[in-house]
Amino acid sequence: MAEADHVLPGGSTDRPEANQVPTEPSRPAVLPRKAVVVGGNRIPFARSGGSYAHSSNQDMLTAALDGLVARFGLADQRIGEVAAGAVLKHSRDFNLTREAVLGSALSPETPAYDLQQACATGLETVLGLANKIKLGQIESGIAGGVDSASDAPIAVSEGLRAALLDLSRAKTLRQKLAAVAKIRPKDLAPDAPSTSEPRTGLSMGEHQAQTTAQWKIGREEQDRLALASHRNLAAAYDRGFFDDLMTPYRGLTRDANLRADTSMEKLAKLSPVFGKNFGSEATMTAGNSTPLTDGASTVLLGSEEWARSQDLPLLAEIVDGEAAAVDFVHGKDGLLMAPAFAVPRLLARNSLTLADFDFFEIHEAFAGTVLSTLAAWEDEEFGRSRLGLDGALGTIDRRKLNVNGSSLAAGHPFAATGGRIVASLAKLLHETGTVGGRPARGLISICAAGGQGVVAILEAR
Amino acid sequence: MSGGVVTILPEMPSLSRLYLTAAAAAAKNRMLGGHQPGQPAELPQASHEVHSVLADVARLTEYQHLLGGSARDVMPAGFIHTLAFPVAMSLMVREDFPLPLLGMIHLQNRIEQFEPILYAQPLAIRAWATELTGHRAGTQVDVVVEVRADDGGTRPRSEGNGSCLWRGISTYLAKGIFLPGLDKSIEARPAPDFAAPDPTALWRLGPDVGRSYAAVSGDFNPIHLSALSAKVLGMRRSIAHGMYLASRVLTEVGSPEPDAFSADISFEAPVFLPATLALRIGDGPAVDGGSSRSEYEGWNPRTGRRHFSGSVSPL
Repeated sequence: MAEADHVLPGGSTDRPEANQVPTEPSRPAVLPRKAVVVGGNRIPFARSGGSYAHSSNQDMLTAALDGLVARFGLADQRIGEVAAGAVLKHSRDFNLTREAVLGSALSPETPAYDLQQACATGLETVLGLANKIKLGQIESGIAGGVDSASDAPIAVSEGLRAALLDLSRAKTLRQKLAAVAKIRPKDLAPDAPSTSEPRTGLSMGEHQAQTTAQWKIGREEQDRLALASHRNLAAAYDRGFFDDLMTPYRGLTRDANLRADTSMEKLAKLSPVFGKNFGSEATMTAGNSTPLTDGASTVLLGSEEWARSQDLPLLAEIVDGEAAAVDFVHGKDGLLMAPAFAVPRLLARNSLTLADFDFFEIHEAFAGTVLSTLAAWEDEEFGRSRLGLDGALGTIDRRKLNVNGSSLAAGHPFAATGGRIVASLAKLLHETGTVGGRPARGLISICAAGGQGVVAILEAR
Repeated sequence: MSGGVVTILPEMPSLSRLYLTAAAAAAKNRMLGGHQPGQPAELPQASHEVHSVLADVARLTEYQHLLGGSARDVMPAGFIHTLAFPVAMSLMVREDFPLPLLGMIHLQNRIEQFEPILYAQPLAIRAWATELTGHRAGTQVDVVVEVRADDGGTRPRSEGNGSCLWRGISTYLAKGIFLPGLDKSIEARPAPDFAAPDPTALWRLGPDVGRSYAAVSGDFNPIHLSALSAKVLGMRRSIAHGMYLASRVLTEVGSPEPDAFSADISFEAPVFLPATLALRIGDGPAVDGGSSRSEYEGWNPRTGRRHFSGSVSPL
C-alpha cells in the first residue's frame, strides 16, 4: 500500500498536468448539422464457451446486423458507411465489417471499415460515424462491435512464426534446413491472447485491484453495484425494454450472465480473484468483475433529414464525444481511469455539469472501476490538482446510474459494449422525453485497455 | 403433393445403415446378374415421411462455415437438403425401388424455398419419387422432398401442420440401367456450346472437400470420400458432391438467401478432386425493385469444360 500511496491523485510528479480541463472551451459555436440514433440491435450476450462457443466474430456481427436490417427495413439499401470492430480479431478477419456487410441483406455497394480501440471500439465507431454525418459526408451509418472470447484467435509462437517466414523466403535447400533448424520445441506451443497489458504484464483485473485499493473502495460497495446491475437488467427484461433492441441467436433470448436471483449474501460468498496480494483486504471477485463474454451489437445512425425521409424514429442526438488516456505505465493513474479525465473535459466543452444529466452509463468493467471513477470525481484534491478545477468535479445521483443494468450483469464482449450502451441509452432518453423543459440528457463513459477512455453525451429526441 | 401410401417412419433413418442396405442390394444384384427381369419399370406408389425433425445446431454451424456462410439461425436451403436426405434415401433403398442407389449420378437439382426456416423449428419431411424416364445413358428419376413445419398441432399427423416451406427435386441417373418399357433411345443432347466467360471467382478445392462435406451433410457416398473408395465404384478419382457445389454457389449468389426463392443447378461434368474451378456469377435485372435473378456457371479453367450451371430467382 505504501508504494501505491505515492501515486495517489495529486501525488507529486515532474510531468506537466496534460490531462487538465482547458480553461477556454474550444467547441465551435455553430456545428454543421446533427447526427441521431435511429435504433439499435444486438444479440444476447453469452458467457465464453457457452451458446456462441462455435460462432465466429463474423457470425455474430452478421447476426446483429441481420436483425437491424430486418427491424428498420434496410434490405438492399446502400448505407453511407458501416463501422465496426473486434478487439480479439483473427488476421484473416482484416475486413471483418465489410465481410459482414457482404453477407448481409444491405446493398453490397455499402462501404465499411474496421476500427479497434479496445473496449472503447463500439463507442468510437458511433462517434466517428456521427461526426461524418454531422459534416455531411454521409447521411446514414451503422456502428457496431463484436467480440468472441470463445473463438479467440490463437497464434503460433514468435519463434515458430519467425522460422516459418524465413522458410518461405529460403531459396536453397541449405537455407530451408537452416530455417527449420531454428525451431525449438518451446516454439511449438501456441500463443493465445490474454487480457494482460503488453507493457506491464498485469491483467486488467490486477491493474484495477490496485486502483480499487488506492481509492479505498470496499467489497460491500462493489457487491452492491453488481447486485444493482443484475436487478436493473432483470427488471428491464421483465418490462420488455429490450424487445426492440435485441434479436435471439443460437437459442439465447437473454444475456446468459444475468443472475436475476443473486443477492448480497450470494455475492459475499465469492472469493477474491484479483488483488490477492492484498490478502484479507482483497475485494474483487467474479461477482463484481465482468466475465469473458461473446456477443455483438449494432446502432443505426443518420442525419435528421435521412431518418425522417425513411420514416424512421429519432431516438437521441449524439451531442459530443471525448477521448482521454492516462500514464498507467509509470503508475501515475490506474489503467482504467482515463474516463475520469475525459468526462470533465467533455463537460467543460459543452458548458455542462454532472448535475445536468438524467442518466449515467458508466461501463462496469469492474464494479471497482465505476466506483473509483466516481470517487475521483468526488475528490477535492483530484479535482484541484489533476483536473485543474476549483474543487471536486461533483457527485452523481446513484439512482441515475446504469438504470437498465450494465456490463456486470449483461457481460462485456469488449467491442460490443459501446453499441449496447448507445442503443439502450438512446431508447431510454427517447422514452423519457424532456426533463424540466429540456431534452433528457445522458452521459456514457467507457474505459479501455491501454489506459484509454472514450465518453459521450446523448440527448433525447 | 404425391399420391400413394404415406409411410410415417418412426425416426430419421440412419444414413450409414441405408448405405449398408444399398451395398447389400448391390452385391445381391451382382450375384443375381443385375436387374431382375420381369420386375415392372415402376416407381413405388409410396411416400416416406418423418416427423419432429430437429436440426443439430453444431452440425449446422459446421455446415455454414464449410460452405463459406455466416452461422445464422436461418438454415441455408442446401442444409435442408442434407437434413431431408436420409428420408429421400430411405425411399431409394426400398426393395421395390427399381433403380440401384449406389453409383447414381446427380444430374439436376431444384430447390424452392418459400419461407426462411429457423433451426429450432421442428419439421415434417416427406419424400417420394416420380418421373421415371429413359436417358441415353440409363434411367433417370426425380426424388421430391417437401418440408413443412411440424408443431405437433391437431391436424392429422400425415398432413403435417403447415404449408410447404421448402421443396427439393433431385434428378438422379442410374447409369447403364435400362428398364423394360422405358424409352432408352432418347437423343443424346449435343454438349452445350460453352465459351468460358471472365470468371468472377476461383475455387481451389482440396482432396479433402468430399470428406469435409460428408462430415457436415452425412452423405458418405464412397465416390466422394477418397480416390480409392471412388475407384471401387468405377470412378478414376473421388468427385465433389454436387450439393457441395450447389450449396457453395448458393452461399455466394444469395448472401443472405432471399426469404423466398428458387435455385436450379445442372451438373454437366463431375468435378474430380482436387480441382480448381472458375466461377461466374451474373445478375439479371431487378424484379419489382427487389432482388434480381442471378445466373452462374462453373468450369475447369484449364480445359474450358463446364461443370455446372444454374440460376437463383426470387419467388
